Amino acid sequence: MNSHRYLRAYMAGSAVPTMMLLVVLTGFLIARYTFQIPIPIERAIVFPMALVPNLFGAWNMFYLWLRPRPHLPIGLHGAILPFILAPAGLTLAACLGFLSANAGGLVWFHEVAIPYAILAVGFCFGLIVYYLVWKYLVSFFNEVLGIA
Amino acid sequence: MNKQEMNEQEQRKLADLLQRSLPPMNPELDRDLWPKMLQRIMLHRIMLHRINERARDRHWLAVLFSPSALSAVPWFDWALLAAVIVGLCIFPRSIPIWLYHF
Repeated sequence: MNSHRYLRAYMAGSAVPTMMLLVVLTGFLIARYTFQIPIPIERAIVFPMALVPNLFGAWNMFYLWLRPRPHLPIGLHGAILPFILAPAGLTLAACLGFLSANAGGLVWFHEVAIPYAILAVGFCFGLIVYYLVWKYLVSFFNEVLGIA
Repeated sequence: MNKQEMNEQEQRKLADLLQRSLPPMNPELDRDLWPKMLQRIMLHRIMLHRINERARDRHWLAVLFSPSALSAVPWFDWALLAAVIVGLCIFPRSIPIWLYHF
């Protein structure tokens, strides 16, 4: 079981967001067709479908590489990821035309206005979610694939 | 014979008696310990293999959400999870943005 350790780390890392993709897509569909939020699903799904799983996989490979060296616990290691993902997601959303900024805050999908203060709080919650996901889910998949 | 000589004589006698009462030491072991050691190692391996097989037979979701796994979660992680859920309930309009970032 010692061969292809980095491949297994990639698979363990990308498993969680890949599974979450079903939830994301369902949430987008409900938001669009039930709550009439004009989410451009075909553009909005690019980030959670293409970038997030790959970054999770790469981040887990990085964690495996760090293991023999001084490193953070896996939960804290995962909690660093939003510092990369959030700017990337915001940039992509702005480029794809469903995020705009005004004086009061950010407007998502031309409808959902989020004040900057709420964004800051939301980012902290994002750190918590990533911490928990990495500590329990990614760590579990690492264990299952024999790289814990 | 003074008191000191008496004591020395008694000590020698005592040592003599002790030596006679103990069985002679055999510098060589009367049996080979290695087969027993090997047996122990094998038994340990078999037990580990059985535990792993039992764990493999269980569905991964059952392992992930087993009572033992859930009880190992520290209270502050439950508190963090509760804070996230409360946050989502207070500001449900942020849910699509959360979904986008996952």
